[in-house]
Amino acid sequence: MTNDKFDKFLARALKYRPHEAQENEAISERVFRRLAGSLPPQKTSFWHWPSVLLDGQFSIAWPRIAALACCAAIGFGIGLAGLERPFGQTYSVSSVANRDFSSLLFEPEPLTGARP
Amino acid sequence: MDDSDEALMQRIGRGDEVAFRSLARRYLPAAVGLARRILGNSAEAEDVAQEAMLRVWIHAPRWQPLARFRTWLTRIVVNLCFDRKRRASWITLEAAGEIADRSLGVGEKFEAEERERMLAAAIEKLPIRQRSAVVLTYSEGLSNVEVAEILNTTVSAVETLLVRGKHNLRRTLKDVIDRDP
Repeated sequence: MTNDKFDKFLARALKYRPHEAQENEAISERVFRRLAGSLPPQKTSFWHWPSVLLDGQFSIAWPRIAALACCAAIGFGIGLAGLERPFGQTYSVSSVANRDFSSLLFEPEPLTGARP
Repeated sequence: MDDSDEALMQRIGRGDEVAFRSLARRYLPAAVGLARRILGNSAEAEDVAQEAMLRVWIHAPRWQPLARFRTWLTRIVVNLCFDRKRRASWITLEAAGEIADRSLGVGEKFEAEERERMLAAAIEKLPIRQRSAVVLTYSEGLSNVEVAEILNTTVSAVETLLVRGKHNLRRTLKDVIDRDP
């Protein structure tokens, strides 16, 4: 058998038969019924979130509102604590009370030596 | 409403189950058919088709329309078939086939059926990548470029797989081919 004839033989023999198509349809129907149940959670890319936030739409959407609330909470916390303070000392009232401000407030004037 | 594959995938990426079912309805028979051809087993093909469609749903938010959806799905199905074939498989009754009863009639129809049965058996004996290349080319009618994309290889490697696959088939089907020069 020549190469061309063999190619034609393969193409003819490997073509889907009507009974095969019917069996495929029956199997597909079973799979489809199983897929009609609850589906697993989808995997979202990390880069999905910046695109949600930066897509330039100003309509109300929960991801944007949640992001805004998070930013506001972080900003509020940083505003209260200050960025220069170590994390362990944040919101520590005593750390403010223990500071010795007297040397700052009553330092002599450097040129004349006059005290306030 | 645009119901192209790409538009449906965009909607599926946003969690639209109706769009997913519409796409599943469209492509399940083809996925089942391809898996059956590669695996030679309906039960495993059913599992592969279901797993492939679930992967479409799970990974839809990350899907980029760089290739056609059909090519992407075919790639998923073929890869799942490779995974199945790597595991040890049982020989099913279906794979064993029926014993031909030659007393029922000798004619062209019988000859043709017998030849196809032998071809199916010969294809099943091919290494999985050669088998996939032969099935995707002759059964699905895909070009070498598309087959290369699905098998994640080069066009020349696909050509090599086809040449080797056909050589192996010719060797296995020597008697059948000799009858029809």
